[in-house]
Amino acid sequence: MSTDTRADEAASATTDNEVGPDDGILAVESLRKEFGGLVAVDDLSFAVQEEEILGFIGPNGAGKSTTFNCVTGTYPPTDGTVWYKGEEVTGTPPHEMVKRGMARTFQSFAPLEDRSVLKNVALSMMDDKLVTMDGLLGEFHDEARAICERVGLGDRLYQTPAELPHAGMLRLELGRALGTDPDLLLVDEPFAGLSGPEVESVSDLLLELRDEGMTLVVVDHNMRGLLQLIDRAIVINFGSLLAEGSPDEITDNPEVQEAYLGGGLE
Amino acid sequence: MSDKSTSRLRLLLGQLNPLGLPLRQKIGVLGLAFLIALPLLVSLPVVGQFVVLILPASSWELGLYNVAAALFFAMFAMSWDAVSGYTGEISFGHGLFFAVGGYTSAMLNMGHGFSPWISVLGGVLLAAIAGVMIGVPALRIEGPYLSLVTLVAPLILLQVFIFMSDIFGGEQGLGNPENLVGLGFVSNYFLALGLFVAIFTLLWALTRSNTGSILTAIREDEDAVSAAGLSKAKFKIFAFVLSGAIGGLAGAAYVHTPVGSPTPSELMSVIVNVEVIIAAVLGGMGTIVGAAVGGLFVAMLPDYLNLVEFTVPVIGKSISSMSFFLFAIVTLFLLNIFPGGVLRWGIALGRRATGRDGGDEGMAADGGQSPEDAGTNPVAQTMERYQEYYDNMFGGDDE
Ligand SMILES: Nc1ncnc2c1ncn2[C@@H]1O[C@H](COP(=O)(O)OP(=O)(O)OP(=O)(O)O)[C@@H](O)[C@H]1O
Ligand SMILES: [Mg+2]
Repeated sequence: MSTDTRADEAASATTDNEVGPDDGILAVESLRKEFGGLVAVDDLSFAVQEEEILGFIGPNGAGKSTTFNCVTGTYPPTDGTVWYKGEEVTGTPPHEMVKRGMARTFQSFAPLEDRSVLKNVALSMMDDKLVTMDGLLGEFHDEARAICERVGLGDRLYQTPAELPHAGMLRLELGRALGTDPDLLLVDEPFAGLSGPEVESVSDLLLELRDEGMTLVVVDHNMRGLLQLIDRAIVINFGSLLAEGSPDEITDNPEVQEAYLGGGLE
Repeated sequence: MSDKSTSRLRLLLGQLNPLGLPLRQKIGVLGLAFLIALPLLVSLPVVGQFVVLILPASSWELGLYNVAAALFFAMFAMSWDAVSGYTGEISFGHGLFFAVGGYTSAMLNMGHGFSPWISVLGGVLLAAIAGVMIGVPALRIEGPYLSLVTLVAPLILLQVFIFMSDIFGGEQGLGNPENLVGLGFVSNYFLALGLFVAIFTLLWALTRSNTGSILTAIREDEDAVSAAGLSKAKFKIFAFVLSGAIGGLAGAAYVHTPVGSPTPSELMSVIVNVEVIIAAVLGGMGTIVGAAVGGLFVAMLPDYLNLVEFTVPVIGKSISSMSFFLFAIVTLFLLNIFPGGVLRWGIALGRRATGRDGGDEGMAADGGQSPEDAGTNPVAQTMERYQEYYDNMFGGDDE
């Protein structure tokens, strides 16, 4: 086993498509996900380094969300291996991944419609315990309130998700993810539908989180808004890796340009 | 740490001061005080006669029996609410748990000579195991499919009871197991009331703690619960086991009183299964309080109707002979005007009257529910949940 791993590492140094458990805080090797006959993720390998902000880019339907649904345990992968913090976690259920320190936001927003912003965030902070005195005496959710303020919802604590504007929903997604106190945060298409200033303020928040030691993966279907934010980008198309490198390298890459038919990337 | 616990203690003491309670809780405390004082009140000279007038029977002895039976029924309704009202997985056969509890306890007592107190514990244990047996499949089968399972399970049990009637007594049931506290009207009344208060307190505390918020979150969106790092499987099974154990406890204690006996019609008939749901939904699904109040109402309404001597002219039937029919009509009527349950409506009304808007704290006390927004009341949530399953069943797409 250990010789195997070493062989893998040696291979990764040369061929660049073999990833092992210690290649990053998150390491994904030959991940494959099929839905019936459709191959949504096709033998994809990549690694995420601690405290980086990685852009995870690809055209619509490229398999970005599916990749992260497999990584976070929402879907069982058809094949491949996922390591998180050096441990194999392939197929671990979502709530276990959250407990291990991996949080995500949902592209299609999944707040609890029946309760306030504050209570949505408070739910993320609850312990996974069956019987507890917590909450019984109606204590104020100080920490939940602090997170709401942090993501810019301080003045909307008692509104329900339905009352929030689009940007507010995204902020709530971030708040709910931060409530679980993650080390790695997967943000699925945060900038879709945001105005310029909103993109900027969300970017500032993400940068701030990174400065505090968090690792971030930001999914998007183009580079808009990402250039200032990310350290490195991975581009996928049809479920497999197309390019990898600094933002400049990516925008100059002819294959990437072709995938986007000469436009749309910026 | 100790700072936190002293501030908690202060909060707790604040909550126990009856004068500081919101109006609805004051009403609850008064209602409870009335129930506790009831046996004393009926024995007072003049007051007693007035109190008997409002009891659902013509004498105080029967009145206490009927209220005791209603208290047991309210416990059944609360046990249903703990799982179905909170997680949104609707059980159409909760009588399964009452019957497992009641029959197990009766058989331990009658067949094996255990004291009724020990037998009741056995009933609780087996009902909790029945909770596991429904709760574990509930992780894979959900929504309408699970409801079918809960619908069929007690029917199978009933067939077993009939098929092996030498052991289970068939439709007739098991006769009369030994009573926990003899035949006394007052002692049995207090047994029922004590158990009612204990179960209510347990469920109320549990559902007002974080556990309650997590269970209602399961009803609203299971993925959001997982994304919060909470094991929905664990909480779902817990809800089923807790509900089974409590339903079993109520069923077991019930058969060891003069007001109830271990028969299919009392513990697991379709009528019992449906009435339990009606009681909880009518009172206010997902509130425990609603199930308690709704349970008392649903159990006592026919008793009251039975007292009415009046004969409806044209059809020549007396009110008392149509009590179940009238009960169903009243229920349909109430469900139509209070879709979120009478409790939620009452709270909203009270807030408007007292000028309190509830705010954050008020919402916390109702288990994460704001009474005003009808669109997200538990019944609507559950409907939406079921709608999704039907859409999928008939080939809708996955999103
Ligand atoms: N649950 C599912 N069942 C069947 N097919 C699916 C499912 N989820 C995704 N797919 C398919 O897998 C492919 C990849 O989808 P995915 O959502 O991962 O793309 P994406 O890169 O996130 O795109 P977008 O930018 O639109 O979010 C698509 O063809 C999609 O239709
Ligand atoms: Mg996507």
